[in-house]
Amino acid sequence: MEIHPFARAREYPDSVFHDVIPNESELTGGVTIEPGKQYGFFTDTTVCIGCKSCEVACKEWNNLPADDIGLTGQSYDNTGALSANTWRHVNFIEKKQALADDTAERPARGVRDNDQNAFQSGWLMMSDVCKHCHHAPCMESCPTGALFKTEFDTVVVQQDICNGCGYCVSACPFGVVALNPLDGKAHKCTLCYDRLKGGLEPACAKACPTESIQFGELSDLWERAATRVEDLHARGVTSAYTYGTPDAPGATGDMKYLNSFFLLTDRPEAYNLPAAPTRPSNRVAPAFAAGLSTIAGLALAAAVLFAGAKTTRD
Amino acid sequence: MPEHRDGRAVSKGAASPEAAAWKGPTYYGRSQLKPSPFNAWVVGGYIFLAGLSGASAVVSTVAEAVQGERGASIGRKGRYLSMLAPLVGAPLLILDLHTPTRFYNMWRIVKRTSPMSLGTWILTAFIGGAGVAVVAQLGVDLLGLKWLKRIARLGSAPAAITGAGISTYTAALLAATSAPYWAADEKGLGVRFASSSIAAGSAALALGEKSRSTRRTLNAITGIALLTELVATAVHHKNVKAKGVGASLESEWAHIEEAAVLGLGVLLPLGLYVASRRLGDRKRAGAVSDLASLAVMAGSAMLRVSTIRIGQDSASRPEVSLRFSQPENLPKKRRA
Ligand code: SF4
Repeated sequence: MEIHPFARAREYPDSVFHDVIPNESELTGGVTIEPGKQYGFFTDTTVCIGCKSCEVACKEWNNLPADDIGLTGQSYDNTGALSANTWRHVNFIEKKQALADDTAERPARGVRDNDQNAFQSGWLMMSDVCKHCHHAPCMESCPTGALFKTEFDTVVVQQDICNGCGYCVSACPFGVVALNPLDGKAHKCTLCYDRLKGGLEPACAKACPTESIQFGELSDLWERAATRVEDLHARGVTSAYTYGTPDAPGATGDMKYLNSFFLLTDRPEAYNLPAAPTRPSNRVAPAFAAGLSTIAGLALAAAVLFAGAKTTRD
Repeated sequence: MPEHRDGRAVSKGAASPEAAAWKGPTYYGRSQLKPSPFNAWVVGGYIFLAGLSGASAVVSTVAEAVQGERGASIGRKGRYLSMLAPLVGAPLLILDLHTPTRFYNMWRIVKRTSPMSLGTWILTAFIGGAGVAVVAQLGVDLLGLKWLKRIARLGSAPAAITGAGISTYTAALLAATSAPYWAADEKGLGVRFASSSIAAGSAALALGEKSRSTRRTLNAITGIALLTELVATAVHHKNVKAKGVGASLESEWAHIEEAAVLGLGVLLPLGLYVASRRLGDRKRAGAVSDLASLAVMAGSAMLRVSTIRIGQDSASRPEVSLRFSQPENLPKKRRA
């Protein structure tokens, strides 16, 4: 397939990034990157200022083109959604009312009233990203093995293997992975696999000016998140909770935990996150069993009918 | 769900699982899911042909096993029909890839969590068995090599076993995704696809069948399969609604499903079978039966196309997708 010249900047597989500071991540993220350990993102939405540094850093490092040049009319969000070319996406949710009396019936979008709580002026921002799920549905569905778990416990699409079947797209419970129609392959956040190999923390985390995006070892991040939730509760933000940590919303239906998890202050749906995603591969066996036993039953009926059929050949 | 979240009940619909679509906040009306990029006609066409081929291998092998030499003509037809999946179906699958030149990567691994991977291997095994059988059958038919009959029949046995697989794994393929309509009731989808496959396979075998008794037997099998499908459809739709995905049953393609799958594919042929049995005139009875067969096959194809489209629609609508991912829909044993 001819690749459109503007689909992606030319690749330099032999390129060398000179003068890398050894283990730079120790300086920028306070973490040493070693194969065999679990890494992830803790995205604390309460300190996100919607600057989109992460989006830009991601595009620059990974050489990803813009999706649509246009206006969405959806607050400051002209990116819209994660896609094959957009691996970080900042949500902007302009809440009409203060958190406490927002009701389920009133969609939290669009117009703002003036009676806002001081907290974030009723504005929620969240930098969304691939969750690098524990039982990653995209990886479990991938028939070629293009999607795999790296030595850093992250989920990556191998571009030289993907044949663009698109099955992972429908498997992902978070609408993350997508096909690029220009090159016919699936793309998503790699948690900067290349940078991790070189001792650099992911581009978005390094660029985030408020530490809303924190990169680190998973167990370490879980502790930090728990402390942060406690702190917020103590300061009166009782709505704070984690999404994607073990036993929390997002880590449901056999999805034990998400390597990229979030600290939220409104219900998951407000951020376009599913409250209780499930692991699709758990449905394989029951579907097979139901189908095969139906075939067996009908084959048995057929055997009875054939055996009882008259011998006349008219 | 932690109580402290925002002090509100998790969902208004939490008390009644029958509750309709999600009415809470959405992110500018966007779904949190991406719809499957499958081409509904291409992939639906494959699923239909795999079902027809696989099931005709099952039914014809059963006929030969039970009736012996008397069932040989059905066996022969079954062997030829089973070539639809490899000759037309498999190319459709490759056509739907977005990098078709790499189709062979499907054989890189075996993965039991991926119905697409399992299906690749089942289809490969089916092509093996059915291929041996059809080559032997060609030897019998074209070269008059009678001794090949045994081999043709031997090849049909593995084709029937793997045929059961290729006519049903496609339900698992759709169910093992996050698209609400496909994921809501994996068993219901399994029964619907399986019964529709048997109906299509048996209807295809009956097409143009001269022997009246054989035709009647095949039509009876198709009839039972259609009745199974009818019941399975009702149960499936009920379960889908119970999971809050009912709104997707009001979409355009759900109406097409109603007309093309239930009307054309199930109810019409059931009526025609009754009529064909009553007709004294043999020629006309055969024609009516053939018409019914065609309707069954068309309905079976449309079941797959409409199921794909309804699933894609359910994944694109936040009021459906956010409702489906509410905690009350979690599998029971996993609930805390
Ligand atoms: S969020 Fe989606 S794309 Fe990312 S690991 Fe999970 S299933 Fe895969």
